[in-house]
Amino acid sequence: MKLGKVIGKVTLSRQVDSFTGGRWLVVQPLNREALAGKGRPTEPSLVCYDNLGAGVGNIIGYVEGREAAQPFEQESPIDAYNAIIVDTINYMPPKK
Amino acid sequence: MMLCRVDGNVTATVKHKSAHGWRFVICQPITADGVEIGSPTIAIDPLGSGLHSRVMVSTDGKHATELLNCRKTPIRNSVIGIIDT
Repeated sequence: MKLGKVIGKVTLSRQVDSFTGGRWLVVQPLNREALAGKGRPTEPSLVCYDNLGAGVGNIIGYVEGREAAQPFEQESPIDAYNAIIVDTINYMPPKK
Repeated sequence: MMLCRVDGNVTATVKHKSAHGWRFVICQPITADGVEIGSPTIAIDPLGSGLHSRVMVSTDGKHATELLNCRKTPIRNSVIGIIDT
């Protein structure tokens, strides 16, 4: 699972049946510098399935790979799944 | 399996139902010398690892489903050991 910031939403007119009821979020993955509050995220943003109800500005924990499809009843073509909506992050890397 | 350093933790009220009651830690993949590689990942922590301790993180999704006792969990990473030396 990785942390990312929700920066937008995607709406679809037609989609695969198993995705009904969910929403799509545009997520910016957070790297070390962005988590520490200095520097900007550098990785490309991605689209993530959400049925927890995250909004723009929230930080979420998203899962990629095979496990992203695991919560669905039927096999689904999905790359990223929102597993948690983060309340607080305590990020304290050791000082060099 | 990844060698990681625990750089903090994350709290969440709204999460997938399989993850209720579990602790999430921020794991920074490192080399044996302690040099960071890549972005931090989040893992569930059944062992109670402390801040800045070195841990072994498994990316085995099957182990996570057994640990959480939920076949449909999206969780994949879990702390499987706290490293002494």
